[in-house]
Amino acid sequence: MLSFLDVYERAIKGPIMSEKDFDMKVFIPRLRNVVNAYGIQYNRETPVPSDDRAADHLYKAAVDFLSQVGIYCQNTNRIIQFTQEEILEAVRKAPGKCFAGEGKEAGIFGMRKPDEQKAPWFHVGSGIVTTSEEMATNKIEGYASIAEVNSISIPALDSIRGIPVLAGSPAELYAAIRGIKIGREALRRAGRPGLPIMNLISTAAAAVTTIAASAPQFGLRITDGWLCGAISEMKIDFGTMNKVAYLLNWGANIGAETSPILGGYCGGPAGTAVVSTAYILMGLLVQKGNYQLHFPIHFKYGCCTTRDILWTVSVSCQAASRNIPMPVIWLGYTAAGPNTKMYFYEAAAYLLCAVASGAPSVQTPHPAKAVKMDGFTPMECKFGVETAKAATQASRQQANEKVIRLLEKYESQIEAPPSGSRYQDCYDVVSGKPGEAYVRLYDEVKEELARMGIPFSSKG
Amino acid sequence: MEQQEIFEKLSMAIIEGDENKAKAFAHEVLRSKIDPLEAVEQGLSKGMIFLGDRFEKGEIFLPDLLIAGDAFNSAIDVLKPAMEALKKNIAKVGTVLIGTVNGDVHGIGKNIVGIVLEANGFEVVDIGVDKPSLKFVEEAEKVKADVIGLSSLMTTTMTAQKEVIDILKEMNLRKKYWIVIGGGPVTQEWADQIGADGYAGSAFQAVHLIKRLLGQKKIGA
Repeated sequence: MLSFLDVYERAIKGPIMSEKDFDMKVFIPRLRNVVNAYGIQYNRETPVPSDDRAADHLYKAAVDFLSQVGIYCQNTNRIIQFTQEEILEAVRKAPGKCFAGEGKEAGIFGMRKPDEQKAPWFHVGSGIVTTSEEMATNKIEGYASIAEVNSISIPALDSIRGIPVLAGSPAELYAAIRGIKIGREALRRAGRPGLPIMNLISTAAAAVTTIAASAPQFGLRITDGWLCGAISEMKIDFGTMNKVAYLLNWGANIGAETSPILGGYCGGPAGTAVVSTAYILMGLLVQKGNYQLHFPIHFKYGCCTTRDILWTVSVSCQAASRNIPMPVIWLGYTAAGPNTKMYFYEAAAYLLCAVASGAPSVQTPHPAKAVKMDGFTPMECKFGVETAKAATQASRQQANEKVIRLLEKYESQIEAPPSGSRYQDCYDVVSGKPGEAYVRLYDEVKEELARMGIPFSSKG
Repeated sequence: MEQQEIFEKLSMAIIEGDENKAKAFAHEVLRSKIDPLEAVEQGLSKGMIFLGDRFEKGEIFLPDLLIAGDAFNSAIDVLKPAMEALKKNIAKVGTVLIGTVNGDVHGIGKNIVGIVLEANGFEVVDIGVDKPSLKFVEEAEKVKADVIGLSSLMTTTMTAQKEVIDILKEMNLRKKYWIVIGGGPVTQEWADQIGADGYAGSAFQAVHLIKRLLGQKKIGA
C-alpha cells in the first residue's frame, strides 16, 4: 500500500498543470464523462433510495473518477495520480475502525451498513465560534453530560485576552492552547476526562499552529482526533500534508476532512454524488485518515438539508458504507438557527437520511449554516443523539417517507430561514441550563416527530 | 441571414455552450458587416444573461456557466479585431479585485463569485488565496479597482478582512473603494462591525450588491 511519502513524491513528480486547467480541463469534463458513462441520475422523488446495486455502481464510478482525475497539489501545481489497482488496494487494506478516547471512554469507532440497526458513533458539538470562555466551558460540559456521546467537537475561540485571533499569528497559538485547556477542563467537570476531542484544532487555521499546540504538554493525546482538510474540489496543500506527516509520525488519529459543493464545479446532484464518494477514497489514500469528517454542502443555500443534497448524502453514504472501510462522521448544516422548529425538522431529515443510509457516525447538525457566533447549544446535541438513535429503527424506505414529510414542512423556507437564538439568548449562561421556552419547544417538536412515526426511546 | 436571426443564433450558441457555433456566427457577423458591438450586446450577452438567470434559480450549475463562458470568449476573439478597428470596446460594468485573505487557502467560493461577476460584464482581477492584507491595497491601486472583494472561509481568518479595511483607512484610501466581503462564516453583522460596504452570501448576491454600490456615488471619492 502507498505510504504517505509515496503520496508526497507524486505531489512533486506528478503531471504539472495550472490550477485553472485542472478545474476546467480535467475535473469538470472528466466528471461529466463519468456521470454519463455510469448513468448516474438524481431522482428528486426519492431523497433516500433503497437500491444496493445503484450504491455499488456509484462506488465503481467514484473509483474510476479518482483514477482519471487525481488530487491537485496547490503548492507544486502537480497532480497526485492513483491507478485503479492502487485505489482498490487501499480499500482492501483499510482497517475500517478508529480507536478513540481514554480509560472508560475508550471506544472503537467502526462501520455500519445501510438499514443496520446498530447505533452509530455519536459525535456531538461543533467548532462554531464561542465568544466567551465561560460559555465554551458550559457548552462542552453540556455535550459531555449526554450519556450516549462517544466523542465531541469543541468550539473555536475568536480572541485571547481581547486580542482578535489572526490565522498563523501568536494570538492564534495562544488561543489554540487555551481552547484545548478549556476542553479538557470542561470534560473533567462533566466527569468524562477520557472523552476524545475529534475536531482538532478548532481554533487553529494555520498548520504551524496545529502542530505547535498539539505538543502533549498542552493536553492532547493520540486518541483524540485531528482534522486534516482537503480543498474543494479534489485538492490539497502542504499545510494539510504537513499536519498529516506530523500526526503519522506521532501515531495520532487523523480525521480526513472533506466537503464537496453541490452547484459548484461538481455541477448537480449526480456529479456531486460521484465526487462525494471519491472524497472518502481520497481520505484513505491521501490524508491517511483513521476516520473522516464529511459534509456535502449546497453552494447556493450553504446548508445540507435541501432535497438534492439529502439525496447526494444518502447515495454517497450508501456507496461508501457498503464498499469503503472508512469510519465517516457525516455532518449536516441546517439553514435555520437554534431554538426554532425548522432547525429540528431539518436536523431530523438529515439524521434519518444519513443513519438509514449506513452512516458510521453522525455529528450534531450545525444550526444556521454554522455561521452564527454562539449559535450552538447542547440542546441540539441532545436532539441529535436522540434522533440518530431513533433513526436506527428505520429502514431506508421508511426514512425516505419521513424525510419527504419533513421536507414538506421546511423546504419552502430554505431561502429565508429563521436565524434562531444565540446560546446566551436561550440558555442560562451561569448555570449552563436551557431556558424554559427552549425546553418547551423541544418537547413540543419531539412529540410532533414521534407522532410522525420517529420512534424516540421513552428514556430519551 | 438577417441581422436579428444572427443575434438569435449567437445567443443560442452561448446557451448551448457550443464554441464552434459561437465562432461560426461571429464570423457571420463580420461577413454581414454587422456592428460587432451590437452583436455582443444583442446576441452573446443575451445568452449569458439568460443562463445567469437559470443559474440563479438553480436550474443549471457552474460547469454549464463555465462552458458558456468559453463559447462567449471564443466569439469575442473573432469579433475583437473588428471592434478595435472601429475603436469600440465592450463597456465594462466595473473592475472588481477579489482574493482570499491572509492565512486562508480556500478559493472555490471566490472563484465562483469571479466567474459570475465576469458573466455579468465585470472586469475581475483575482489575486488568489492566502494574500497578505497590504497586497489587496497595492493591487487595487495598480489595477484601479472600483471594488475590493474579500473572501474568508474560516472564523479565524475573518479578522483579516477587517485588517484590509483598517490598512485602507490608515493609508487614507478607504473612501476610494467599495469593500464587499463574503465567505462561509461571514455575515452582514460582521460587515457592519468592521465597516465593509456590504456582505454577499452568494455569487448572485455579490453581483446585485456590487451593481447597486456602483450605482451610488462614493462619498469623498
